[in-house]
Amino acid sequence: MTTLPAASPVAGANRLLLRAAGRARGWTALVAAAALADAAAAVLLPYALARAIDAVPPGGAPAAAAVWPCVALVVASAAAEVLSELATGCAAARSTAWLRHTLVRHVLAVGPALRVPPGDVAGRVVGGAAEAGVAPAAAPEAAVGLVPAAGALVALFLIDWRVAVAIAVALPAIALLLRAFVRDISTTAHRYLTVQGTIAGRLAEALAGCRTIAAAGTADRETGRVLEPLPGLRAEGETMWRVQGGIAARGMLALLLLQIAAVGVAGAELAAGRLTPGELVATVQYAGLAAGFGPVLTQLLRLARARAGAARAAEILALPAPGHGTETLPSGPGRLDFRGVTAAGGALDGLDLTVPGGLAVAVTGRSGTSELAALAGRLADPDRGEVLLDGTPLPDLTRAALRREIGYAFARPALFGGTVQDALAFGPSRPPSAWLRESARAARADGFIRRLPRGYATPLADAPMSGGELQRMGLARAFAHAGRVLVLDDATSSLDTVTELQITDALLDRLADRTRLIITHRASTAARADLVVWLEDGRVRALAPHAKLWRDPEYRALFGGAG
Amino acid sequence: MRTRREAARVLRRTVGDAIRAQPRAVARAAAWSAVEAVPTAVFGRAVGEAVDAFRTGRTGEAASWLCVLAVAAAAGAFGSRRLYPALAAIVEPFRDDLVRRVTDGALRRSLRGRPDTGAVARLTHQVEIVRDTFGGLLVVVRGFLFATGAALIGLVSLMPEVALLVVPPLVLGLLFFGAVFGAAAVRQRALVVGEEEIAERTTALAEGLRDAVACGGEDTLREELGAAVEAQAAAGRAVARFAALRAVSLAVSGWLPLLLVLAAAPWLMRRGATPGVLIGALTYVLHGLQPALRTLVHGMGGSGLRLAVTLARILETSAPAPPAPPDAAEPVADAPAVELRGVSFAYGEGARPVIEDLDLVVPHGDHLAVVGPSGIGKSTLAALIAGLVSPTAGEVLVDGLPPGDPERRVLIPQEAYVFSGSLRDNLAYYAPDATPEQVERAADEVGMARLAERLGGYGAQVVPADLSEADRQLIALCRAHLAPQPVVILDEAAYRLDASAEARAEEAFARRPGTLIVIAHRISSAARARRVLVLDGTRAQLGRHADLPAVSPLYRDLIGRWNSEPARLLGDPDGVDPVLRADLAVDAGQMVADGADRQDEVLGDLRRGRAT
Repeated sequence: MTTLPAASPVAGANRLLLRAAGRARGWTALVAAAALADAAAAVLLPYALARAIDAVPPGGAPAAAAVWPCVALVVASAAAEVLSELATGCAAARSTAWLRHTLVRHVLAVGPALRVPPGDVAGRVVGGAAEAGVAPAAAPEAAVGLVPAAGALVALFLIDWRVAVAIAVALPAIALLLRAFVRDISTTAHRYLTVQGTIAGRLAEALAGCRTIAAAGTADRETGRVLEPLPGLRAEGETMWRVQGGIAARGMLALLLLQIAAVGVAGAELAAGRLTPGELVATVQYAGLAAGFGPVLTQLLRLARARAGAARAAEILALPAPGHGTETLPSGPGRLDFRGVTAAGGALDGLDLTVPGGLAVAVTGRSGTSELAALAGRLADPDRGEVLLDGTPLPDLTRAALRREIGYAFARPALFGGTVQDALAFGPSRPPSAWLRESARAARADGFIRRLPRGYATPLADAPMSGGELQRMGLARAFAHAGRVLVLDDATSSLDTVTELQITDALLDRLADRTRLIITHRASTAARADLVVWLEDGRVRALAPHAKLWRDPEYRALFGGAG
Repeated sequence: MRTRREAARVLRRTVGDAIRAQPRAVARAAAWSAVEAVPTAVFGRAVGEAVDAFRTGRTGEAASWLCVLAVAAAAGAFGSRRLYPALAAIVEPFRDDLVRRVTDGALRRSLRGRPDTGAVARLTHQVEIVRDTFGGLLVVVRGFLFATGAALIGLVSLMPEVALLVVPPLVLGLLFFGAVFGAAAVRQRALVVGEEEIAERTTALAEGLRDAVACGGEDTLREELGAAVEAQAAAGRAVARFAALRAVSLAVSGWLPLLLVLAAAPWLMRRGATPGVLIGALTYVLHGLQPALRTLVHGMGGSGLRLAVTLARILETSAPAPPAPPDAAEPVADAPAVELRGVSFAYGEGARPVIEDLDLVVPHGDHLAVVGPSGIGKSTLAALIAGLVSPTAGEVLVDGLPPGDPERRVLIPQEAYVFSGSLRDNLAYYAPDATPEQVERAADEVGMARLAERLGGYGAQVVPADLSEADRQLIALCRAHLAPQPVVILDEAAYRLDASAEARAEEAFARRPGTLIVIAHRISSAARARRVLVLDGTRAQLGRHADLPAVSPLYRDLIGRWNSEPARLLGDPDGVDPVLRADLAVDAGQMVADGADRQDEVLGDLRRGRAT
């Protein structure tokens, strides 16, 4: 069993982001270049504007030489912005795609040992990777983001140190003001989400009971019940707006007062003859630039989220994935040997067992049966000991050989594919459709499949299946790909006894030459197998025909009926 | 939503409606927006005048202009503060409306069968996206209009010629922005849809990881998901290209006016502009127009597209018209409780019928069990009698009237519905006027008194997630027992109960006056019934439990297999299908001894029961 490591692997996250950035090397470089060009233009432009303004003598001709730098800087800034938009998007697209490919490949390689909830996996592949993918562009933007503010302060000092000091003193006050807002908004947002969660919970309940509601004709009443907390949601929502209004008002006031102060101080310098009118305009602009560290904060926030997304991806990538060998299998009857196998925290404890080839062998017991089933086809590896198929240890086999020779059917199978037919064909190779139908017939699935709106061509999404129907689909899929060994892990538990019997017949007749390992909790199934493996305390207590074991009251007690 | 026109229409219609629905809030928002824009209108003029005053040594005059600006700033901030509640009065009712639509639509769509599980995500995620983006859009677009208007008014008051230089490039850039907006919306939609597809595929893969590996289908899945990931990357690049185009429009409307004013400076000076006027004009462009444009283009570019796309997706799945309730009619005298005449049902064109040409009469007071292999159409029969699905041929009658009237019958499905609320409210679902004594009596009857005690009494709040399936089914059964409706249909409603609890509940229903139809999960349910309907896909047979084995090989099979399989094989004396105790809830076929010997006469008959 593989669970996620508790500590978030920060180093892993950084490494992963670097590799992702490497995949989008060209675009990332372009983002950096554009950001630098834009920052330089932003710092230089107020100065160029000041020169141009001052070059216009009252009533005189303009000094064209002073206007052209403005044109050049504006064009450079606009071009940089266009390229930056393009490069940012493309860099994110490429690194996100690389992260997603990497994650999916690894999830498949880890296999059933992955103990992460499916929604969580999807969250990491979709949202997490997208957030992490932003990093290659956000990092250079954040690094360059302080350049305009710093450049503006430097320029202010060059123009007039008194103005620069006045503005530098005012800046921290603004920063403090903005910090308080973030706190306000998150508490109201939390209350809003709580009410929203209540409504969503009630809706989920009602949806789960939709058949009852449909039959009772109470849809209107249920809608009313689900929406009961809606006025509370409205109230919390309005509070959020009020808080936001406060933020906007204070932000606006702060910026305006800063600019007024800049005009006032610079105006005094102008009156004293230490500044030109153009330089006053530049001063106001530089004041705005110096206060404009918001974008940097945004980029840093995005970077932090990217780190978090990458850390979540790295957690998955850090999980060990089992490797496969290079051997293909010599021909054989399909004999399985378990040698001194300990697994699943002692559910199996030093178990020795030989499953003879070509027989139907039932496995029963109070515990350890599913663990044995998983080991038989290397869905899990034992902690100690080894499992061999016809003399070859399973880890030595290639993945293709392993999956070709050992097939599975489960109690709750998951189906893949566009249509019902695709779902049956799912596997390393696609069997011919006649064979698929033959397998469906053997698994007693043909009947209900043909009752579906478009029979075998029905899209899976349009084919709601009961637990029993799903089991028969899983069996049909396993029959269609059957190799040397077939493992049925409680695969008929949801079927009524008649259907189960018909399927067992198919198992006995049609697949008579395969090794069939049948995990079961039903005496009737065990009775029809050639041999029964009775597991107890992680070991084999007995290996014998059912009829012989049935004389043992303890064996009968296993099935409850005769106890 | 495939074309730019559709995107624009969705926005215009829904957002327009939302705004029109709140005229007073809109008026207030407009008024406070105007106040908020006052500093923008004053800024360039005040700076210009102050510069001229400073330049010519009139420091006092300059100071008073700065004071005017400070007062304007205070007024603007006040306007901004008052503006947001007005915006809330537009956005929050719209959000309420969407929540109602999603809830109502999801419930109604789910009535047709499968629960619309995506609705919860729509409620929490997509509705919030709409709220955020709609609110953001109101802030941004409205802010842009008022700020631009204010800056232009300021420019005109400064010197009308300057406005002539500024307006044409501004309009040009905005037109270009509008032209690419629709096409960009389509790309953005592809991005949203692609994201959903990847999420769905990844969830399916993670849920079925064991099967994927066991079947050796890793390569297939990796290729499929890989293709979706690549398509998503392409969609991301397409969106980036449109973002670049947006930046072009920003350059045209924001930067071009600035350069034009600079280039035309000598001309303006000749027409009497002072350096202060020139500086004022540049200030309006730099500090009025440019920030407004920037927020508009970035705001509309991101959130405007998201709003259009998400709204369209919510509306695609919004509520259809509610079905007309069946007319309340008097029951036809002497009509049987339930009657099926030549009823057939198939799940689609060309699909093999699940039920074919079935005739059935269930008289008042009957107790009928329906048995048959899984997937044979037992639940479909229950749905037909309840009027939840309509037969493809033939006629279903309840009390001689079309089925579907919730006043006449109760259907309890496999998945018991329990909601967050008091236990009493849950139990009195069909009988809101039931007295506490009636509720307790029904609970005693079906055997859930102990459960009620465990939950803390009938007034206690029930947390559905904390209940086991068996608990939930017991609550649903008690609810049905308490219901005043004359016909009760139990569709494997007790399959999670252990056999003795099921027996107790079913016996309670047998004692209850009225008609009982039980879709049986265990053969013991059939043994308790007065009559049994056996469905086997090609034939339907009706009879008594004691008589059916003689005429129905399937029934013989069902009894034999469910009842005495090991006995036949091994001479087990108990005649019970032995099952691991751990698995009792799923499959336990204990017989109830007295069920088989009912002496009741077989009422009614199956006139025809033929198929294929």
